[in-house]
Amino acid sequence: MSVKLVLLKVLGALATLAFVVVFNFFLFRVVDSDPVANLFRGRNLTQEQRQELRQQFGLDGSKLHQFGAYLEQTAKLNLGRSYISNEPVSEEIWSRAWPTIALVGVSTLLSTIFGVMMGIAAAWKRGSKTDYGSTVFTMATYSMPDFWLGILLLVTLGVSLGLFPVGGMTDPGSDATGLALLLDQAHHMFLPAVTLTVAYLGEYAIVMRSSLLDTMREDYLTLARAKGLRDIAVRNRHAVPNAILPVITLIAINFGFVLSGAIAVETIYSWPGLGRLTYDALNGPDLPLLQGLFLVFSAAVIFFNLVSDLLYAYLDPRVRTA
Amino acid sequence: MRTLRSFALLLCALTALAAVAVARGADGESTTVFTVGFPGDYDTLNPVVGVEVPDYEIWNLQYATLTDKAAADFATTPGLAESWEGSADGKTYTYTLREGLTWSDGTPLTADDIAYTVNRAKAEEWLNYTSTVQNLTAKAIDDRTVEIASSVPDPKLPTMDVYVVPKHIWEKQDAKAVTKYPATDGVGSGPFTLVEAKRGQFIRLKANDGYWGGRPAVDEVVFRLFTNADAMVAALEKGEIDAAHDVPVESFERLSSTDGIVALSGEQGGFNEISVNGGRPESERVEGIGNGHPALSDIEFRKAIAHAIDKQTLIERVNAGLGRPGTTISPSPNQEWIPEIPEAEQFTFDLEKAKQILDAAGYKDTNGNGVREMPNGGDDITLDYVVRSESQSAAGDAEFVTGWLKEIGVGTKQRTVNDATLTEIIGKGTYDLFEWGWTPFVDPDPELSYFTCGQLSKDPEDPTNYYNDANWCDPSYDADYKAQNQELDHDKRVEIVHRMLRTMYDAAVYHVTWYEGDLQAYRTDRFEGWLRQPADIGPVLFSNTSPTYAKLTPTASSGGGGGGISGGAIAGIVVVGLLVLAGVAYFVMRRRTADERE
Repeated sequence: MSVKLVLLKVLGALATLAFVVVFNFFLFRVVDSDPVANLFRGRNLTQEQRQELRQQFGLDGSKLHQFGAYLEQTAKLNLGRSYISNEPVSEEIWSRAWPTIALVGVSTLLSTIFGVMMGIAAAWKRGSKTDYGSTVFTMATYSMPDFWLGILLLVTLGVSLGLFPVGGMTDPGSDATGLALLLDQAHHMFLPAVTLTVAYLGEYAIVMRSSLLDTMREDYLTLARAKGLRDIAVRNRHAVPNAILPVITLIAINFGFVLSGAIAVETIYSWPGLGRLTYDALNGPDLPLLQGLFLVFSAAVIFFNLVSDLLYAYLDPRVRTA
Repeated sequence: MRTLRSFALLLCALTALAAVAVARGADGESTTVFTVGFPGDYDTLNPVVGVEVPDYEIWNLQYATLTDKAAADFATTPGLAESWEGSADGKTYTYTLREGLTWSDGTPLTADDIAYTVNRAKAEEWLNYTSTVQNLTAKAIDDRTVEIASSVPDPKLPTMDVYVVPKHIWEKQDAKAVTKYPATDGVGSGPFTLVEAKRGQFIRLKANDGYWGGRPAVDEVVFRLFTNADAMVAALEKGEIDAAHDVPVESFERLSSTDGIVALSGEQGGFNEISVNGGRPESERVEGIGNGHPALSDIEFRKAIAHAIDKQTLIERVNAGLGRPGTTISPSPNQEWIPEIPEAEQFTFDLEKAKQILDAAGYKDTNGNGVREMPNGGDDITLDYVVRSESQSAAGDAEFVTGWLKEIGVGTKQRTVNDATLTEIIGKGTYDLFEWGWTPFVDPDPELSYFTCGQLSKDPEDPTNYYNDANWCDPSYDADYKAQNQELDHDKRVEIVHRMLRTMYDAAVYHVTWYEGDLQAYRTDRFEGWLRQPADIGPVLFSNTSPTYAKLTPTASSGGGGGGISGGAIAGIVVVGLLVLAGVAYFVMRRRTADERE
């Protein structure tokens, strides 16, 4: 892979990020609302106190002035303080990022693995009962809204059978640490993780299946068979590596969205993640927090797109020279 | 492929293990934990700046006040102070503290802490303290005596309900830092003090041995956040939590008829209203700020609208039968401040009467299109009805009200906006009707102040700096407001407030649809001693001073810790875990043999 290509891709990603930084500021100021009035309704504040709050929030100068201050602070990696909690935005995001990475990361990984395996099995035995069964299953889960599946699992496994807690990330009364804490969290994470895994594996299975079916028509597979290779070797060494390319792109893009969380599922299971934090920030509107969140989300997506571009170039020789 | 498979296997095994292990960890504890489910997160636990509902609950538990309020009727009762004495002019009070008061960290709590809190809050204009302390000066005479003087006659005294903060902790924060202080030090003087708080998850407090009212019977209070209200209800039914705040309307009836669960609607003075753009008096008009449809400046037209709103129907059809039909605004959870209005003088639902009023005032439908026009050949009257998207009831109410207005020949056009936009629209006066609500403090003064002329927006460029969302004011109301603000004779003050509320009611600008309650539910199998504040109609949790927590005792039948997992559940978890493992093993084996079958 040429250095020039890598450099070009990285520069492209940085330019996109710069655009996002600028766009971000104006996005949340389209609706000209006053966060102070909204957050402190019915609190019996004097006019002076409200003015002072606006000053504290940096809402007193002109839009241009605010924009300048925003650019300056963002460049220094200072994302400001949340209007609502008064905590630095970076801390706020950091504390909510781990639950989201754990939940959405694990389920994206699981749905990728299971989805890809199902897609391969279905395509390789096209027309068989396996294919038929897995296609029906994946179509069903693909078209199933995740919040619906989430509520269903919550009601059956959480409430009726009582196997899992109905929400939260830990048992709030316990003093567990170390392994016990980890196990407690895994227990809480089971239902949301299963929900997300099942809801998203269909996508991978469908893409993998159709991609493999296309590849199976290629002449080099006939040649491989003619050389006397076993079926499993033809599949694993010749068909799948070629067919998996579009799935890699999909996986990389989806990993970019891992950080943005899953608002619906996080809400159903009271999971303290970034998706939920975004929702709360929008209600404020908590401008610094929103800006920070969208910056982080965009950066993640841009980063994984870059990774997928580079990975693609590495995996597919045709792209390298193009 | 093989590495992928083993990785998947590993993950599945881990999850199964988790399920089993957690079941194991749930053996009986000896601490008594009271767990409350709540649906909206706290913002900060700093009493200087926090605004969210759960914040107040934590402060009520952690910070004792100089005087307390009775659960039944908000009467001022001894708190940190065991007694007090007023001066002849009623402007100065001398409080005597209880003997041997300490903070939860063992430091003595003295008159100095109280003087420090009051004086610093006043000097630095602490957001949540200013309305109480702005005219006060406190002086510590000795360790157990503090004198509080007001520069003006203050009817709120001797009530001193500001949260007293520990000087030895808070003095480390300077004026700038204090508003950003997270206040998670856990040092307090109330019945419980903070142990741990995690935004988005839970808040945990433990009983305070040094509380002046004696150590509570409950060892720990845990507030558990639910972002899904239905899951909260399920947790209550399962016994994962003992009580729930803000139960969804849809589940309320079911919970009410469930054995072992009490569901209640706790009123704290909150009300829901349909506000009409009243049009300001000439002297208050500002270039660039609207006054609504010209017809609305005519009180006769507003009266007709008042007669076209059927509050009972709205309560039954939109609000699931919850709430009481309202008359005047409610300035306090204490019912004594709301005047009785004889039925003959109320704007009762009567469409014929509404039509007669409109006819008499000259609003006629001359072109026969079903919509009345302005008098003397004006245009059709179509009102701009702004529906608030965050409200559960506004859209449903708007459907009904629009229908009734149509029947009396008044057109409407609806648009839906969020809170932030509606606040803006109200400040600019560019609306005719909207629906929103208020929840007042115990003292009626703040809520009353919102409808004075001084609280009308003043600048179209800066429309959201004021509270008056009726876009109406009245000089006689303002004069009464000033009078009650300094009236030390309680009965006289009540009389003035009644007159103010009546003035506003008669102006037909603010149609209170219902007095609403917080929907709460609690289990009766583990704790007893629940207190409603105020008596009979108030909530048991999230009330003005939250007296329930300190009074709760475990029932005789409750078995210690609770919240554990039953034997059957453990067996179930083991079975599920094994099934998952077996499934994965089968899958892997099939793959292996498939290779060999070739």
